[in-house]
Amino acid sequence: MAYNANMNVADIRAGLLAGDFTAREVAEASFKRIEELDGEVHAFLELTKDAAFEQAAKIDEALANGTFDEMGPLAGVPVAFKDNMNYEGTHTTCSSLMLENYVSPYTATCVAKTIEAGGIPLGKLNMDEFAFGSSTETSAFGPTKNPWDLERVPGGSSGGSAASVAAGLACVTLGSDTGGSIRQPAAFCGIVGVKPTYGMVSRYGVVAFGSSLDQVGPFARSVRDAAAAMDAICGHDPMDCTSQYVKADFRAACEQGVEGMRIGVVPGFMNAPGLTDEVKARVSEATEALREAGAEIVEVELPHADAAISAYYVLGPCEAFSNLARFDSVRYGYCAEGHKDLGSQYEASRAAGFGMEAKRRIMLGSYLLSSGVYEKYYYPAQQVRTLITQDYQAAYEKCDVILAPTSPRTAFKFGEIGDPVEMHLSDIFTVSINIAGNGGMSVPCGLGSDTGLPVGVQLIAPQFKDENMFRAAAALEAVYGAAPIAPDFAAGKAGE
Amino acid sequence: MTQQLTERDVRDIATYARIGLTDEELAQMTVDLNSIIETLKPITEFDLESVDPTFHPIGGLSNVMREDVEVPGFTQEQALSNAPKQQDGSFLIPAILGGGDQ
Amino acid sequence: MKKLEEVLQDWEAVIGLEIHAELTTLNTKMFCGCKLEFGADPNTHTCPICLGLPGALPVPNKAAIESIVLAGLATNCDIEKHSMFYRKNYMYPDMAKNFQTTQGPVAFCMRGHLDLEVDGAGAKERIDLDGLKPGESQGNVTATEDGYVAHVGITRIHMEEDAGKMVHIGGDEGRIAGATHSLVDYNRAGTPLIELVTEPDLRTPEEARLFMQKLRQIYLAIGISDCSMEEGSMRCDGNVSLRRRGSTGLGVKTELKNMNSFKNLHDGLAYEICRQAQVLEEGGQIYQETRHWDPSAKRTIVMRVKETADDYRLFPEPDLAPYDLTDEWIDGVRAKLPELPDQKAARYQKCFGLSAYDARHLVEHRATSNFFEKGMELAGDKASKLAKPLANLAINDITARMNADESFNLAECPLTPARAIELVELIATDAISSKQGKEVFAAVIDEDKDPSAIVDERGMKQVSDTSAIEAVVDAVIAANPDEVARYKEGNTKLIGFFVGQCMKEMRGQGNPKVINQLLAKKLNA
Repeated sequence: MAYNANMNVADIRAGLLAGDFTAREVAEASFKRIEELDGEVHAFLELTKDAAFEQAAKIDEALANGTFDEMGPLAGVPVAFKDNMNYEGTHTTCSSLMLENYVSPYTATCVAKTIEAGGIPLGKLNMDEFAFGSSTETSAFGPTKNPWDLERVPGGSSGGSAASVAAGLACVTLGSDTGGSIRQPAAFCGIVGVKPTYGMVSRYGVVAFGSSLDQVGPFARSVRDAAAAMDAICGHDPMDCTSQYVKADFRAACEQGVEGMRIGVVPGFMNAPGLTDEVKARVSEATEALREAGAEIVEVELPHADAAISAYYVLGPCEAFSNLARFDSVRYGYCAEGHKDLGSQYEASRAAGFGMEAKRRIMLGSYLLSSGVYEKYYYPAQQVRTLITQDYQAAYEKCDVILAPTSPRTAFKFGEIGDPVEMHLSDIFTVSINIAGNGGMSVPCGLGSDTGLPVGVQLIAPQFKDENMFRAAAALEAVYGAAPIAPDFAAGKAGE
Repeated sequence: MTQQLTERDVRDIATYARIGLTDEELAQMTVDLNSIIETLKPITEFDLESVDPTFHPIGGLSNVMREDVEVPGFTQEQALSNAPKQQDGSFLIPAILGGGDQ
Repeated sequence: MKKLEEVLQDWEAVIGLEIHAELTTLNTKMFCGCKLEFGADPNTHTCPICLGLPGALPVPNKAAIESIVLAGLATNCDIEKHSMFYRKNYMYPDMAKNFQTTQGPVAFCMRGHLDLEVDGAGAKERIDLDGLKPGESQGNVTATEDGYVAHVGITRIHMEEDAGKMVHIGGDEGRIAGATHSLVDYNRAGTPLIELVTEPDLRTPEEARLFMQKLRQIYLAIGISDCSMEEGSMRCDGNVSLRRRGSTGLGVKTELKNMNSFKNLHDGLAYEICRQAQVLEEGGQIYQETRHWDPSAKRTIVMRVKETADDYRLFPEPDLAPYDLTDEWIDGVRAKLPELPDQKAARYQKCFGLSAYDARHLVEHRATSNFFEKGMELAGDKASKLAKPLANLAINDITARMNADESFNLAECPLTPARAIELVELIATDAISSKQGKEVFAAVIDEDKDPSAIVDERGMKQVSDTSAIEAVVDAVIAANPDEVARYKEGNTKLIGFFVGQCMKEMRGQGNPKVINQLLAKKLNA
């Protein structure tokens, strides 16, 4: 069988080994599809054809001389990266005018590991500017559209990473998640999205938003593909002090089943105001599905979860304010012309280079860290982090993984949510996981009965026990099947 | 009731953050920041006495260091490859005095 | 403006120092593996981390942490087991990230102290100690035979990183004021830097100078920095305020910068004390400001007025794990602590019978004290006899040579400790005169030969034989009857003339002691 965009990691591996197609053909078909379809989705900001064909040649060579088995878990898999990940020689724009012309002189560890594992790099993906947003509408280069309904947002901030996989333009992509930026777009686009435990995947080379919250993770249409990607990218990196030695085999975890596993459900989440009926219904069904698969369902409490969103909107902007101070027109980035003194060049460059949401977060952080205010918000937010972490620890004495909605609703329309505060509320089920640092992933669980759009269920693991959520995710996939390419982009429809 | 930020406060914050704002943007920013700050109120309402802060969500990880061993870095050309302006192997910037508060 | 000693009659100066030292003896920067090198072409020692590129993350240099702990142990600090790095946020173009990674309220080293021995002219700046008898204390000071010892508190030593370097162009003499542009070089950015902050325990410019000098000796002894004040690897800022003698309140302080030598540190502080006194005596007011010492104009000028305290938005650095040092780890660093200058000086007094003064000056440079010790080893059973002359050679001749010639490297110099011992022994046994000794000292260094060889070559043997000298003395007296007459009339200073004539006759080889004795005997007869 010739290569087609529906294929998962295992299919591609088998096809290459059987000689059904070559890695070069995978690359060619991928770029052909992107060129034909990405105009509608606008997931890609840059294509990396040279690197892709170079990698394909290596793979084909390995196939020819029998060393293919030595290649990593993503050998021959079309992959792409969120545009906040440095990849030497490519633009790393963070979807900001500030970095429109910035060319990376180095490569992020997660990108290097993906390529080392045999991934064929297709390009860089659109996002909310500097990852500030939940809809990819704040990209300076235009929004990405949801392949399930082009009038709707793909979610964000890793909207391009989610939409490209949902449209079958890539098999595996990487995104980053600071408050839900992998899980929420995965839910909106009906695919799998993983935010690993903080410290599981190196952040080196990924442009920081909230350094104590950011974590890199994969998107895929199947749990096993996501597991293969996790096996490729996780592990200690000497370049990231907060990365840790982890011994995990996520692909093996997918085969373990959920027999005897305890799944925690948080009544406070299931009865949260703003949770739509269709999402609640699908998530409840997913809970039942796990029970039927042999898991035990237990109720757990997260009493401080309400404070998470406030803590997040304190900690995120504070860290962002400091992380984005380096964009000053001196070493790189946008530089306003014609200024005789540095002060006015700073102000003009940052005024023109940053979009409104970036400015809001930088200014909010600057305010919250100022003397007298720090004690009132920042310090208490770090104390609240302790309480939230303790909540999770207590909950995990009763269960092995927690199940919750990913997002209170399905994908919204462009412009539907204009108020920044309302936009921030779409993160209510995801941010506490970033605050506590544990792992979370979103898995598709059918379509909403009102909107007909994908619904995601979130599985939340204890710190460094991310394999627990993969076990549950694989059990759900056994019921729901792997995620399809969004109907309008189904492979075969266009150009196969 | 949280004390509201005035436009003047927001102007000061913008100056510190080195972000130029038009009067119109300033007005909108003031509204936005005040409404966001209002949502942060729960943080100020917890009884947090004797709760230690968690600055690093990394469990017991501590003392992470590297050996004092040289690693090859950039050439001068690579270092300056994204420089908006350069001269004689250095980054070129306009006069430091004359603007801002430093 | 009044002179310092006059000002200090009425005013007491309260001085605190902030001393930065770059850990130049390390191989790499604080948070990245870039090479530490002074004077390289601009921007040739950079990487994503020290250039502050988006996405880069810091990883601390273990040797730097060991160095600061060593510095803390050597300055009697408590080592804090639990501390963190913080981000100090402010935008300035020489700081690539626009925040400096530094430490927060808890530094690696807290609550230390150094004792300063102040004597000689420097002790006279402290006019309030008149009447204090040796052994008596007043405040943090204890009087000694020839001065006093001041106990100076160290608030903390914290770990941070240095900024890049800027060259200001288009204005006068590279000054920032008037420049149209600046060039930024990030080679220095990220250099490991430790900042020591003293308590405001210093009272005179001399004490400040001695503190800096003592700290420098300690840092050199523990080998953490080359401590070059000229190249800026050791820098000192001073905070100064005045108060009326007898009052205990604190005046408004100014911060003084650019004191890049021991002399500038002393003179800058002395000037600033006198300036403040003049302003206050004229009914004026001191403003909290940063001032720049201009050594050529011999005055301080305002750099920046601080209207409000700086708000650096300090918060814990999330990219770096906290520190949780164990006793075991700290003891491991303690084991690397070498003998410190004070300990060494005490040993020299005890083992070699040196005076406190000689011992203290000998340990000022590690090179001279190493040299001295090797010499003493070689001297064997003559050590106690040769200790004092060898110490003098090291403190006077060798130190003068080091001060005169920057490139002079004692460790590689032809004057080995063995040759030095030979030289001081030649002098001590009257084989050559001390004047000849100076000539031999220079010749050994210039010609790379043993002292005995030089003495032989130049026929320098000192003649101590009384009969040989007596003949010369008699001849000189006979040849200068006028001078003899004037001498006898009471112009005894002419003895020098006769000695010179005798030495000339003997081509410098006569033992001056014997010549003197014989001349005195004959002329006074």
